[in-house]
This record gives sequence, C-alpha cells and structure tokens, in this order.
Amino acid sequence: MAYNVLVVDDSATVRAVIRKTLDLAGVEVGEFHQAGNGQEGLDAMKGRWVDVVFADINMPVMTGIEMVERMAADGLLKTVPVIIVSTEGSATRIEQLKAKGVSAYIRKPFTPELLRSVVDEVMGVARG
Amino acid sequence: MDEERAERLGRVFAEVLEKQSFMFAEPAEKAAMPAAVREYVLASMTFSGHWRGSLELAVPIPMCSELAANVLGLEDDDEMATARGPDALKELLNVTCGSILTTLAGDQPVFDLSVPEVVGMFPERWKDLLQSSDTLAFTVEDVPILLRLWLGRTS
Repeated sequence: MAYNVLVVDDSATVRAVIRKTLDLAGVEVGEFHQAGNGQEGLDAMKGRWVDVVFADINMPVMTGIEMVERMAADGLLKTVPVIIVSTEGSATRIEQLKAKGVSAYIRKPFTPELLRSVVDEVMGVARG
Repeated sequence: MDEERAERLGRVFAEVLEKQSFMFAEPAEKAAMPAAVREYVLASMTFSGHWRGSLELAVPIPMCSELAANVLGLEDDDEMATARGPDALKELLNVTCGSILTTLAGDQPVFDLSVPEVVGMFPERWKDLLQSSDTLAFTVEDVPILLRLWLGRTS
C-alpha cells in the first residue's frame, strides 16, 4: 500500500534524506509533500489527504510541537499519525510529545530499517 | 574543557560524522592547526534548558558540498551538492548538538535547541576558536576543522 507522506523540516537536505531513506526502506510512497515549517505543514494538509507526517521539532515560524498541538485541535487532522524525526534525545521530551498525540519518535541519525519498523508500527502493518 | 568532556565530545562528533556523512574525523593538536584559514564557514547554534550554551563548527567551504554529496548520494561537484552544502553542515551540527547534550546530561533533562546558522568565517574568529579552551581540533581527510562547545551555568 502506498502512503501519502508529508515531511515537515526546515532543512531541504533532511527532507531529501527522509525521502531517500523511505525508498531504501521499501516504504511505498504515493504522493510526497514537503513543508519548511509547522505552518506550511498545516497549509499542505488543507484539502489533500496525508497518511503520515514526518516532522522536526525545531523550526522557524512554527515548531513541530505547535503543529502537533494545532493538529490535535482539528477534528480531521488529529487522526493523522505524526512521527517526530529529531536530534533531541530527552526521554522527558519524548514523553511530552507522545502526550500531545505524537505517534512515534525517531532520533537522528537513523537507518532505513528503523524508519521502516516505525512506519509499520504506526500504520499498523504486521510483518512476519 | 575537562578531559572527560573533551573525550566524549570528540567521540560523539566522530560518530555522527561517520554515520551521517561517511567521513572520518581524526583528533588533532591545536598547536598543529594553521594560524589562519581562507574560505572557511562557521556553523553555530545555541541551546537552553538544563544547561545553556553553544556549539560551533568551523570547516572549509568545499567540505560543505562534500557533506551534502555524501548525505544525498551525489557527486561532490553536483550543483545540488553545492547548493545544499550549508544545509548539510547545519544538520551535522544539529545532530552533533543533540547527541552530545544527551551524552553529557543523560536522557531526562530537556533542552531547547536553536535553528543552526552558517556564516562566513572571519580570520579573528578562527583565532578566537583556536585559543579557546572549549575548542577541539580535528582533521577530516587531512583538512583542519575546529569544534567548540561552550556550556554556561545550569539554569
């Protein structure tokens, strides 16, 4: 099954790396959308279906955390899984993010295998 | 910087550089570094929370393209690698910062990291970095680079 993916990161390089890693991991991507900050991410989700969002935390204009909070307050967007991809390793921060509705957390640098495993888990795909 | 912190910072930086960009950093003596450099850039970011401080990395401009090329699987002279060079350097600094803070403070404290910036390197700044006790020197493929971690008072 192909997923419509949105990657929200202020680094074009990171967005490209996530796209490349999804391909390497064998995750089938339908539509691929990009945004440079949380506000652009919310705008990108208006009027189009997104299956899963990958988002950074620290971004200008609107952080990933603010974006998740806005999504949680929206009847439709709160159902879209968000995977935070960040450099931060604080367990406390990760718990705070999950309490806000974040589905999973991937710490950089990451491998295709890890990305695949997290996507499968978040999307409820069982692999034997 | 005490010896243990310097050892951890050096190890974390080398690991991140290798995992992310497939490049290898060798620790070097600051005394062996050039007194002045040309065509270098300085990446910097700050953090606050459990501790406040900053992380700075000085590298030659061509290394930025090489970082981007390695991360994205491009040739060094690819126009895309050149364009994405500063971005790749920021990401290297960002990941190094997150990793070293967790390594030094453990996984419970929360830090707020700024968005990294890259600017041209002034000769005076290279001298400042070289003279700072918070700076470590490395060579990456025989090219000198400097990394400085400054930690302020615990907030």
